[in-house]
Amino acid sequence: MIQRTPVQKKRRPDTVLTDHESPVSDRRLVLYETPAPVTAVDPSDEMVCTYHCRQMVKSDFLLALNNAENQVAEYEAKLAMLNSEFSQSEDERNKYKDRLLSLEQELDASKGREHALQERLLKEVGDSMMRYKDQVKRCCELEVQLNKEIESRKNAELSITSANERSRDLEGKLHRLSDSSEREKNILKRQLEHLQDDSKLSSYKIAADLERMKLRAENSEKESELLRDQLNDLRIQLDECLHEKSGLEHKLLTYAAAPHESASEDNNLVKHLREQLRNYEAEVQEARKLKSYHVNTELLKEKLLEEKGHREKAETELSKLQEVQLHAQNLELELVSWKSLLDELPDVSAVTDIPKKFAALQNETIQTMLEVGETKAHLKQLEVALEMSEDKRQHAEKESSLAKEKAGNAALEVRRLELMLSSVTEERDRVRKEAIMLSKQKIGNEGGLSTETLVKDMESSLVERENTIKELESNLHEQREVVHRLHDELRLLNEQLSTEKRKVKSLEREGDRLRSEISLLETKLGHGDYSAANTKVLRMVNTLAVDNEAKHTIEALRAELKRTQAKLQAVEELKGQSDAANIIDGGIPEKLAQLKGQIATLEKREERYKAVFAEKISVFRRACCLLFGYKIVMDDQQRPDGIPVTRFTLQSIYAQSDDEKLEFEYESGNNTNIVVNDYASQPEISHQIEIFIKKMNSIPAFTANLTMESFNKRTLS
Amino acid sequence: MGSRTASKDIITLRGSATIVSEFFGYAANSILYNRGIYPEESFTKVKKYGLPMLLTQDEGVKSFISGLTSQLTEWLEAGKLQRVVLVIMSKATSEVLERWNFSIETDAEVVEKGVIKEKIDEEITTGNNVEKGVIKEKSDKEIMREIQAIMRQIASSITYLPCLDEPCVFDVLAYTDKDVAVPFTWMESDAKLIENPQMVKLHSFDTKIHKVDTLVSYKNDDWDEQ
Repeated sequence: MIQRTPVQKKRRPDTVLTDHESPVSDRRLVLYETPAPVTAVDPSDEMVCTYHCRQMVKSDFLLALNNAENQVAEYEAKLAMLNSEFSQSEDERNKYKDRLLSLEQELDASKGREHALQERLLKEVGDSMMRYKDQVKRCCELEVQLNKEIESRKNAELSITSANERSRDLEGKLHRLSDSSEREKNILKRQLEHLQDDSKLSSYKIAADLERMKLRAENSEKESELLRDQLNDLRIQLDECLHEKSGLEHKLLTYAAAPHESASEDNNLVKHLREQLRNYEAEVQEARKLKSYHVNTELLKEKLLEEKGHREKAETELSKLQEVQLHAQNLELELVSWKSLLDELPDVSAVTDIPKKFAALQNETIQTMLEVGETKAHLKQLEVALEMSEDKRQHAEKESSLAKEKAGNAALEVRRLELMLSSVTEERDRVRKEAIMLSKQKIGNEGGLSTETLVKDMESSLVERENTIKELESNLHEQREVVHRLHDELRLLNEQLSTEKRKVKSLEREGDRLRSEISLLETKLGHGDYSAANTKVLRMVNTLAVDNEAKHTIEALRAELKRTQAKLQAVEELKGQSDAANIIDGGIPEKLAQLKGQIATLEKREERYKAVFAEKISVFRRACCLLFGYKIVMDDQQRPDGIPVTRFTLQSIYAQSDDEKLEFEYESGNNTNIVVNDYASQPEISHQIEIFIKKMNSIPAFTANLTMESFNKRTLS
Repeated sequence: MGSRTASKDIITLRGSATIVSEFFGYAANSILYNRGIYPEESFTKVKKYGLPMLLTQDEGVKSFISGLTSQLTEWLEAGKLQRVVLVIMSKATSEVLERWNFSIETDAEVVEKGVIKEKIDEEITTGNNVEKGVIKEKSDKEIMREIQAIMRQIASSITYLPCLDEPCVFDVLAYTDKDVAVPFTWMESDAKLIENPQMVKLHSFDTKIHKVDTLVSYKNDDWDEQ
């Protein structure tokens, strides 16, 4: 072991040490100085003594020299040792310096790293604070949404309770509706029975009317037959009269050839002719009556046809009645089904309540649909919010995981730094100890002051480092606390997220339920249900089926009409030419052939009679024209009120133009009226009409006067 | 650098009503053809909605549908029409076999105020590398496309609708507001519902004034039930 403080040398008397020089400290070699010669001694003795002394001194000097040399050697050895020790200590000092430098570098690096870590941690803290703030904001928003959802859930629960109450009310109303429907069913049954009775009565009445009309038709047919017979008789009489007339004409001609015969016979002839004329006129009137009767028969036939039509209608109505009965049965079945429905339906007491109930139900369904729509929209919003919250949760989870990782990394870094710090402190302690040891050693040696200052500097720097490390530790502690707080907040957020997840699941279940209700309501709407209070269903009257059916029926009716008309014509012809009314039944072929032969002969006769009658009538007309001076044109017409009228157009033979025509209307019942036309409205003619027709009620006087005037005009002109 | 000039697609209440009633006319013809209500030879092809549409040449059906569409137009302009239903019934039994339901939602504000709804396309300018967003509500092309989709669905409905083996007739029901005056060629009717029907919802189209939803409900086929 190298002694730091060398042992002090023993001072020899021979050695001269100056006070100024310190051999120990300087480690310089002290030269031995020869001592000063001694004075005041005997010269011989002195010589011997001196020789002995010298010898003694020499020996002593030699001894001392040896000792000194030994000491010097020792000192040299010691010096070498010290030098070696010094070099070693210097080496060690350099090493420690190097180590200190390295440690300082490491400290600087660690400081830099710590600074960087600090900055990073501060950034992370700032980011985490920002994220925390964001998460707090999101939590607040989620809380607000939660509150809204809770409110909506409460509203939904309230609506559910109200719907339940309404459903209970509806059930009660349907019970009432069922009772009222039973009553109305009974009423409807009674009405049906009444209707059936009425329809039966009407059918009986119609049948009775039909029979009456049939009898009337038969009577009218018989009358028409009688009239036809009369007509035939009259025709025969007319023929006879015509024959007589022709005979008379011959006679007249013969009388004209022999004008000198007696006037009395002429007068008699004229009288006879007049009588015959009167007879003819009477016969003509009778013929007219017959014609009117014929017209009446035709009218009766038309009425018969109408009655037949009525009968057919009654028959169709009877068939319809059967359909109505079937419909009534169907209605009864429907009523039964309705009753069963009413039993099932709550809150229905009468039939009249049913539409109101249905309207109310439909309103409710519409309202529920609206609510469902609203809840749907709300659900969608919630779904969107849920998705957003899930995204946020995932983001927050990611961030929390990242923060956790960062916190772990920071903790690892902190531990590493702590380890580094511990190692640095250990190194520092060791260096300190070594520095102290060195300083102690250097105190013994002279060159120790600089190392002490170095050690002191190092110590001061170490103290500073310790302070910084303490600050870092405090920062790390704070950051750990912050990280712990963040962890706690993350835990709270996770708990909140889990509760929100549960709420979202419950809302999803509600949404599914509402969706199913929506689908049910949509099916009902698609089924075609509607609110009778707000809606009515219309369809076109002239649908194609009806048009087609109507067309078909119209065509069928037209065909039937044609057939019936043909049948009637045939029947009329048969009735007119035969006496038996049962020919219509016409089932026997022999009779039919006979009747057909009779019909043919009768038709021929009729044609002949018509031709003869036309000739006679034309002759008669010409005679009347010549005798009375008027061309008479007869025309049968019908007034707008249905009364048949015969119109006579008279044109004087002395008329100066074709417009000078008088028109008279003759009704059955001997009513003859003048028809006002342009010629009759002339002042002269109207004056004569007023005098002769209106005042004197004499058409012959008027016509005679007019004839005279026109004759006078003609002759004078 | 491209630019599109502005164009305005103005649609009025009357125009929308015409579109809807025209659509119903063509849809009715398509249904009658596809369901075989009338023989194929009584139909002719015309081009409409970008598709070959079949129109009946039967004068009775033609006049019926034309009278119907004119009345529907009137009701649509008044905002009184809620639904139009084409009913297919058995000729023999008058049983309702199919109901083609066209529900109509009308914009009440348009009917009340007679507001013209404008559909505007704004310019897209890329001159200064600034693209403005296209504020486009809807165009006639879009409406036609939607109608085309419905017509395609009607044509493809024969794949799932049951066969109509017996002679059938059709009728049209109009669901109107309660306060509508019934024209003399129309009368009130029952809804002609189907018991326990199957329903298939088709596409819808929207003119921004009238929204039409289509749904077909049909009687369950005996084969399906078995």
